[in-house]
This record gives sequence, C-alpha cells and structure tokens, in this order.
Amino acid sequence: MKLSNLLSRSTALRSGVAALALAATVATAGAAHAASTLVETGSSLLYPLFNLWVPAFTAAHPDVQITTTSTGSGAGIAQSIKNLVQIGASDAYMSDALVQHNPNMLNIPLAISAQAINYNLPGLANTHINLSGPILAGIYSGKITMWNDRAIRAANPGVNLPAHVIIPVHRVDGSGDTFIFTQYLSDSTPSWAHSVHYGTTVSWPAVAGGIGANGNSGMVSAAAANPYSIAYIGVSYAAPAAKAGLGVAALKNALGAYVLPNPATVGAAASSVVTITPPDERISMIFAKGANAYPIANYEYAIINAKQADAATAASLRTFLNWAVTDGNASQFLDQVHFLPLPAAIQTLSQTQIAKIK
Amino acid sequence: MKFRPFRLSLLSLSLLIPAALCAVILFLLIYSAPAIGFNGLGFVTGITWNLGDLYGDPVSVRGFTVPNGADYGILVFVTGTLLSSFIAILIAVPLSVGAAIFLAEAVPHHIRPVLSLLVELVAVVPSVVFGLWGIAVLIPLIGHYVSPSGNGYGLLTASIVLALMITPIIATTLLDALLQVPKENRESAFGLGATHFEVVTKAMMPMVRTTLIGGIVLALGRALGETLAVAMVAGGALNIMPTSLFSPISTIASFILTQLDSAESDPTNMAVRSLAEIALVLFVITLAMNAGAKLLTSGALNVRKRQA
Repeated sequence: MKLSNLLSRSTALRSGVAALALAATVATAGAAHAASTLVETGSSLLYPLFNLWVPAFTAAHPDVQITTTSTGSGAGIAQSIKNLVQIGASDAYMSDALVQHNPNMLNIPLAISAQAINYNLPGLANTHINLSGPILAGIYSGKITMWNDRAIRAANPGVNLPAHVIIPVHRVDGSGDTFIFTQYLSDSTPSWAHSVHYGTTVSWPAVAGGIGANGNSGMVSAAAANPYSIAYIGVSYAAPAAKAGLGVAALKNALGAYVLPNPATVGAAASSVVTITPPDERISMIFAKGANAYPIANYEYAIINAKQADAATAASLRTFLNWAVTDGNASQFLDQVHFLPLPAAIQTLSQTQIAKIK
Repeated sequence: MKFRPFRLSLLSLSLLIPAALCAVILFLLIYSAPAIGFNGLGFVTGITWNLGDLYGDPVSVRGFTVPNGADYGILVFVTGTLLSSFIAILIAVPLSVGAAIFLAEAVPHHIRPVLSLLVELVAVVPSVVFGLWGIAVLIPLIGHYVSPSGNGYGLLTASIVLALMITPIIATTLLDALLQVPKENRESAFGLGATHFEVVTKAMMPMVRTTLIGGIVLALGRALGETLAVAMVAGGALNIMPTSLFSPISTIASFILTQLDSAESDPTNMAVRSLAEIALVLFVITLAMNAGAKLLTSGALNVRKRQA
C-alpha cells in the first residue's frame, strides 16, 4: 500500500475519532440545538415510575433526552454527588454526614411510596394477619422463631397459626426498602435501634435458616419458593406478590392500630408529616403519628446536585422535575406503581428546591 | 543495537497484560491501605460484617474515622467461597471426566464433533441464565424434595449451579488431551490383553493427569470468582457460618456485588475500602490455588519421570 493511501486513511480515522469525541462532548454538555441529555440512575423502586414518566415527558419536550437505569439507591446518591448523573433516584434521603460533606446536594421528593410485609402461609394468604414492629424485630433477630409464638398469637386472636419455623427473607443488595423497613423496626423497638440500627443494608442478626434475596423481584420469588417465609416488599411489586400467593400483613402503627397499606392509610401517614417537613425535605414518615397512618411509607427522592455542568442542563433538569412533581403526579402514572401524589404543601417545597438548581 | 519495530511492538503488547494485572493489584493495595490498617488480622477471622451507622456522625476508632459500630469481618464469605467452589469441583470432576472419556472413547467419530460442541456451548451460556435456572428449577426442586427445612437457597444449590458452569471447562480440556494420547499407547495396551476399561484408566488417564489438574485449576478459578449466578441462589448469609449443605452462604465475589451500593453511602469511605480489601483477599486465594496446582502438576510430572 502506498504511503499516501496510508496517510489519508489515518487522517480519515482521526477525523472520525474527533467527530465521535465532539459528539460525546455535545451530548454531555447539551449545548448544540439546546438538546440536552439527562441521565437518571438509582432506586429500583422508582425505576418503573421513571419508565412511565420519560416517554410522556419527552413526547412534550423533544429537546430533552432522558435515560434511566435501575442500580440501587446508594448508587443513585453516590453518582449524583460525583456529578456523573443528573438525577439520582433514592428511597432514602441523604444522611446528615453526607449532607455536611456535600452541601450542594438537594433531596427532592417526587412521590410517596409504601412497603408491604408479605408472608407465605399456606391457607392464610387472604387473612391479613396482624404484625407489629417488635414482633418483626423479634423475627428478624431470631428471638421469635415459630409462627405460633405467643406474641404473634396475642396479636391475632382467633387465627389458627401453624407450628412452623419462620423463614425471614431480607435484601442482600443495598436497598431503600431495607432502609425504611429497618427504620420502622428502629422507631418501634428500642432494642433493635440499639443493636442493629437502620440503613440501606444492615448487619442482619444471625438467624438460622434466614435467607437473603436480590432485588424486589428476588424477594417475591424467595418468599414464593419458601412456605412459612416472611418478606418486606415495595408496593410497586404488590401485583406479582399477590400473584405468587403471598399474604399482606396489617401493621401496628404508632397509635396502636393495625392498618393495611392502601391509599387511605399511606395518605394518612403523609398528611401527618406535611406540617413538620423541613425546607430541605429530609424527613421520615415511618411510624407516623396518625390514627389511620400506615407505618412504612416514605418520600421517593430525586437526589440532585444544585450545581450542574451548564445552564442548559440545569434548565432541562428544572423543567423535568417541575413536570414530575405536578403533571407527573397524575394518577395515570402513579396508580400503575401504587404510589401516591405529593400533598400540595410538599409540592411547593419541592418546587422551591427545584428552583435552586443552577 | 539495531532498531527492531516488530520485536518492540510484540514486547510492548505482551507487557500490556502483566502491566494491567500489576495496575489492578497496585490500585487495590493503595485504595484499601486504610482498611488494612483499621481491620488488622481480625478481617479474615471475624464473623461479623457491620457497615455501622451510616446515618449518624462518624466516630474515631484507633485513629481511623469510621461509622459508629463499623466492624468488618469476612470469615463467613471466605468459608462460603471455598466450600461452594470445592463442592462444585467434587461434583464437576466425575461428571466431566466421564463426559470426556465417553466423547473420546465411546462415541462414533462422526457424532463426536456435534456432542463436544454441545458441551462447549454450555460454557458460553451467560451466568445470569444459570442463576435464573437455579431460581426457577433447582431451588423449588431442592426445597421440596431434598432440604429438610424446605429452603432451597444455599450451599448445595450454589455448588450445583457452579458445578454445571465449570463442567464444560474441565471436560473440553480433558477431551483434547485424551485425543492427543498416541495411538501406539492405546493399541499396545489392548495388545497386552487389557480391557477397554483398563486401557482408559491405566494407559490413557495417567498420561493426561497434568492436563486434568490444569483443567480443574481453570475451573476452580472460575468457580471462586463467579458472582451473579451465586448471588442469585446462595441465600446471602450474613454474620452466620454455614452448618450444613442447606445453609445459606455468601461468597466473596457475590458479597462485593451486593454490598457496593450501600458501601457507597458511607461518608468515611471505609466500607468501600474494606470491599477493596476483600477483593485483595480473593485475589490472594486464587493466586494460592494456582500456585498450589502448579506445584502439584510439577510434582506429578517428577513422579512419572522417576518411574520411567
């Protein structure tokens, strides 16, 4: 091959590479044609909702592209802090220590979710047995091992509980579901708060026969495959859990009532914290003090870096988030994943935070 | 010295692989250095793994800033990794030796390529597919018919899934070696009046022993490092040592996969550094296995030489 040929080929190659690099820069900077790409990653519980939101939003805003991935709340927070993604989705708000290290980060509630305690008890799937925080803490720390334990029988008069060993199922991957579940146990049971505490993963006490499962779908299949098991599963997965024949427990709330997860009880939990939600909106509605409040409900957060790379990205991000907390809170989206809309006062707080994105 | 572009380019390319390996080790060492200092020897002997309170204020322990209550012990995961890999080898070796001998000796020549291709195809099935098969088929099966507690997640299930994944590795290496055995050896054994069984066990297998061990080491490396399929069926044990074949376990690789997300929300970074230290331990284990196998194969060679 002649030298000139070689040269021209390498020039073509080089310009090709340059064009690719340019395209990548444009895509991340979002400068050309005012088209910007927003990258979302994080919570597997929020992921189905983002998949409903994105097509509806981009249909009305063709200049904004949004990609979504389900990685886990911890990854959502970490990557948003590092400015690797524009939207970090998380079931848990950032800890005080993390906020102190990263004062630019905003925790913006997008919707309200809840978690069901599901169990696999042959013949009792439609009974809705009663459980409390201390009973669940006993089961998950190995102090309550049998389904016909005195504490469970006392909470369920007239229910024929089997004399069978309980198989507690927990998440092995980092999860906002583990966060809100262990927060319920910590808030309701001092001994759990002192020994295990709460987090997206915790150091589960050794329970012989206890199982770890991966993701909400893994929880459903583990609970389905193991009769006499108990599991905590996000309400987005209520349909597969019901299909697998799992029962839903009524949980004891802060005022002593046993309540099932439904729009009325989760809404009651939300309205009980509306007035005390601080401007940075980092607040737990776990074990909320309302007569009819379901004890494991939470805000689903977008973790956003207030300092974006450029003005165009920040503008697109504001547009999307404002849409998400208003139009995106319509029942056509939320009903499919069993989420609840933000109360009006919280919507205003979220919009005030969204306006800080620059 | 003469400028030799061909030799130089080959040299630089061949140095790339060891360089990448060294870079990984160096990164792990530097990144996990604070964790190595904080954890000390208790790291490999401790049963408790606790990220600590990631939501409270970090505390200072022996000069290290860590979340309150943080305690990193990985004996459970090391045990789970070694047990599941060794049981997988125990299951896979007879299977693959049988399969290789069958393919080399008992199958008509024109069918052999088809069958050996099928065995090789098992090796390219993505591990997530093995995991799904484990969840959908193996776990209910073991839970209903084998496990006394009715729980199908755990050591035995993980080992069987691993065994299936590594069987083709051992079988294909061994098959290639069996087909390389000189015709003269086989035929002289037959000529001495040996049965077909004796020909295989006494004339052919001793010649391929080194290859068999090499194949097992390759397979062991795969089993020790397998992540996703194990994470799906092992039952994710934490803070509890396995007591039977049906106990839930965790392996080092699957534990790193499942913990990384939460570790990233540790404001002191000690959790991620400790995960890097686990990776280092896995690396040391794999290296030790390989070195051991090298010694074993060279030893086997020496014995044969002395006999000859």
